[in-house]
Amino acid sequence: MTFSWKPTRREFLGGTAAVAGAAAVGVAPFASAFGASYPDRNLKVIIPTREGGGADRNFRAFSGIWKKYLKTKFEPRFYPGASGRVGYEVYMGKNEPDAYSLIFGNMGPELLNWVVKEPESFKVSDYLYFGRVDTDPGCVFVGRKSKFTSIDQIVAEAKKRTLTVGTSRMAHPASIGILYLGEKTGAKFNLIPLSGGKNTVAGAVTGEVDLSVLTSGTVAAKRKSVRTLLVFDDKNKLGERLDNAPTINDHFGTDLPPMLSSRAFGIHKAAVDKYPDRFAVLQATFKKVFTDPDFKAAVKKAKGNWEYINYGGVEECAAYSKSIMKIGARYKSLLSGKS
Amino acid sequence: MEADLGFLIGLFGHTLTFWWVIIPTIFLGLVVGAIPGFSAANTIIILLPLTLAMDVEVGLIFMVSLYCSSRMGAGIPAILVNIPGTAGAAATPLDGYPMTKQGRSQQALSMSFVASAFGGLLTTILAIIAMPVLAEVGYYMHSVEMIVVMLFGISLIASIAARDMLKGLIAGFLGLMIGSIGTDVVYATPRGTMGFLELYDGVPLIPALVGLFAVSEAFIIIEKKSIVTDEGREIMAAPSWAATFEGAAIAFRHWWHITWNSIIGLIIGVIPGAGASIASFVAYQQSRTYSKTPHLYGTGHPEGLIAPESANNGVTSGTLIPLLILGIPGGATAAIMLIVLQYHGVNFGPSLFFDQPELAYGVFTAMAITYLLMIFTILPLSRYMSRVTLVSTTYMAPMIIAFTLVGSFVSREYMFDMYLGLVFGVIGYIARRTNYHVAAILIGVILGPLLETYFLRALKKSEGDLMVLFSSSLGNILWLVLIASLLMPMVLGFRRRRAVANTQAGT
Repeated sequence: MTFSWKPTRREFLGGTAAVAGAAAVGVAPFASAFGASYPDRNLKVIIPTREGGGADRNFRAFSGIWKKYLKTKFEPRFYPGASGRVGYEVYMGKNEPDAYSLIFGNMGPELLNWVVKEPESFKVSDYLYFGRVDTDPGCVFVGRKSKFTSIDQIVAEAKKRTLTVGTSRMAHPASIGILYLGEKTGAKFNLIPLSGGKNTVAGAVTGEVDLSVLTSGTVAAKRKSVRTLLVFDDKNKLGERLDNAPTINDHFGTDLPPMLSSRAFGIHKAAVDKYPDRFAVLQATFKKVFTDPDFKAAVKKAKGNWEYINYGGVEECAAYSKSIMKIGARYKSLLSGKS
Repeated sequence: MEADLGFLIGLFGHTLTFWWVIIPTIFLGLVVGAIPGFSAANTIIILLPLTLAMDVEVGLIFMVSLYCSSRMGAGIPAILVNIPGTAGAAATPLDGYPMTKQGRSQQALSMSFVASAFGGLLTTILAIIAMPVLAEVGYYMHSVEMIVVMLFGISLIASIAARDMLKGLIAGFLGLMIGSIGTDVVYATPRGTMGFLELYDGVPLIPALVGLFAVSEAFIIIEKKSIVTDEGREIMAAPSWAATFEGAAIAFRHWWHITWNSIIGLIIGVIPGAGASIASFVAYQQSRTYSKTPHLYGTGHPEGLIAPESANNGVTSGTLIPLLILGIPGGATAAIMLIVLQYHGVNFGPSLFFDQPELAYGVFTAMAITYLLMIFTILPLSRYMSRVTLVSTTYMAPMIIAFTLVGSFVSREYMFDMYLGLVFGVIGYIARRTNYHVAAILIGVILGPLLETYFLRALKKSEGDLMVLFSSSLGNILWLVLIASLLMPMVLGFRRRRAVANTQAGT
């Protein structure tokens, strides 16, 4: 017995549609389960600074809790160099946009990098920050042995002679803060990049420079060796840990917006577009960390400042990016040595 | 709290009870130190979950032991197969490897272990005694002074060039040019990177080290049967403990050499940002300058091996002083240690010596015990380690290339670094074949970027005024010492020639 079936074109198309539909219905739960199983392997995190710095400490405290909700581990990779450019180039150029690799950067200085010199191999809009961990204002500080004990003494001296100011890198929110102070008071400051927070603190402590500017979280951790004199924020949130230093706007009657460094997780824009379900998982689990009491304990244990922990999503990060790039454009010539 | 002798002896005895942590860590440190690309810093990072889970005292002892032993471990492949495990051991093969070729590897290893252990032990004791004074060094050594210190190291190029001035200087300048590749330290502008992102942070040191020394050496030895000369093989044919004791005895006879070179290491280590690579070259240069036998340097001279090994171990205690007193880590390993200890709730700064003296001084007692135990655990191994050099080059050369290229990859995980290691290997091979000194190239590659950093910083501070180089009293004293050390070989050479001439005239 032979079986033969010769379908008409309509029957064939109809049959195909039915099979495809059935397949779609049948596979859909599996597909959904597949999406829900994300991440099914470790997440790689590119950190564009050296091990042992503030970003490293911050990352370890945060990821230690986030992994609980994401049910996976994080593999940090450190790519310092060229003021963070190397890390971003590696992330954008050598990592697949599949939501299995993230970047954990310091939005302030690293966005200012792009203002000073645009990236060559990708556009700034090719990645987006989606998870802000903290907002850490810049501050002015000197070594404990320094002859300066107040910001007024600094300004008075800087009107007579140019003072050297250590900074972790030229394009940094704290650098803008001190340039702004000079602009408003007529004080003369000469920025000296000292490559990283550790060296910037050492510069002020050892007297290599007259004073330094840096993120105040790092400075507070070294308070036994340094004296903070001014904070570039609306309020000195750390109080005594920053020697009850005044804020620039209170002390000088200026209207400088807070000069914040802000550590945040970023992701390829292409990954967001291609895998919205994965991105949703990242966003949802990221937010949960901030209400977890273990996170507060981890921050305290790592000697971090809980006052600076400040959740931010895509919108908050975008607003911050826009404002820092706007003010950076104003000081572009000074930060790039072209003035 | 006053650290009286009774307290320190009690602490020493207490730390000794942690031998079960220290001894295995010594062997781990030797292995990671000997593998190019690995270091105490990245091993602590890899083992961070373990370190964080440990009791703070155990964690601290583990990290300190690993730090010390990895420093000593880096010298082993530098002596045996011309592969410095880290930049801090880059000056070790200058005289260590020629000793191996002469069949004196067992003696060289023993000498290196004794110099490292006693240099490290001595500077640890000095660090405990003179910590407040040493902590002050950083207050005086700024960019101008550091430029002069760098020039002490770089002037070694001139010593090397003395044998063939033109070739030595060409090699040194080539190294300096290679060292200037990367982004500048002020405005992060890329220079000479040829579009390679991997070069933005400068030429990575490990591929340069293994390429110039090890890969080029592998290309050379493949043309021979053995690393060791025929005479050397005869010497090594009958293995005995004698060479180990002989090496140790030579090192002990140079106790003064160990002392002052390890002190050079200690002082350089205290300066934030400086490190073992600077210390070892400066020590080698100083040792050669004031030696009675400078012409023997580079030919397998014990002094040329003892100087860098005692200096780079002197650095270890030095880098921890700014961490403990100021809370500022003096190097990468100290920075990682800071994170671990902060996680355990340890507050750094002068108050640590009052709040937790057993921890503050415990760092140094752990260091002292590690160095002491290293002598007893490692010295006997020199007899067996030295046998590696008898392996036929048919197997040795490919193993060196494979091993070192993996080492090139490990530190940054770039395939690019493996290719770079090969490129440096070819450069090194051509240099050796044409009698250019690879060490001169390497000094430029290692010290050039550091010199540039301090130079640009000084110029930025002075807004471009070159006279800043002579603006500090200490800096000016160092300039005079530098000039004196450059002129000294000429003066001593002249006096020696005159003495020989007088003797000949008298006979």
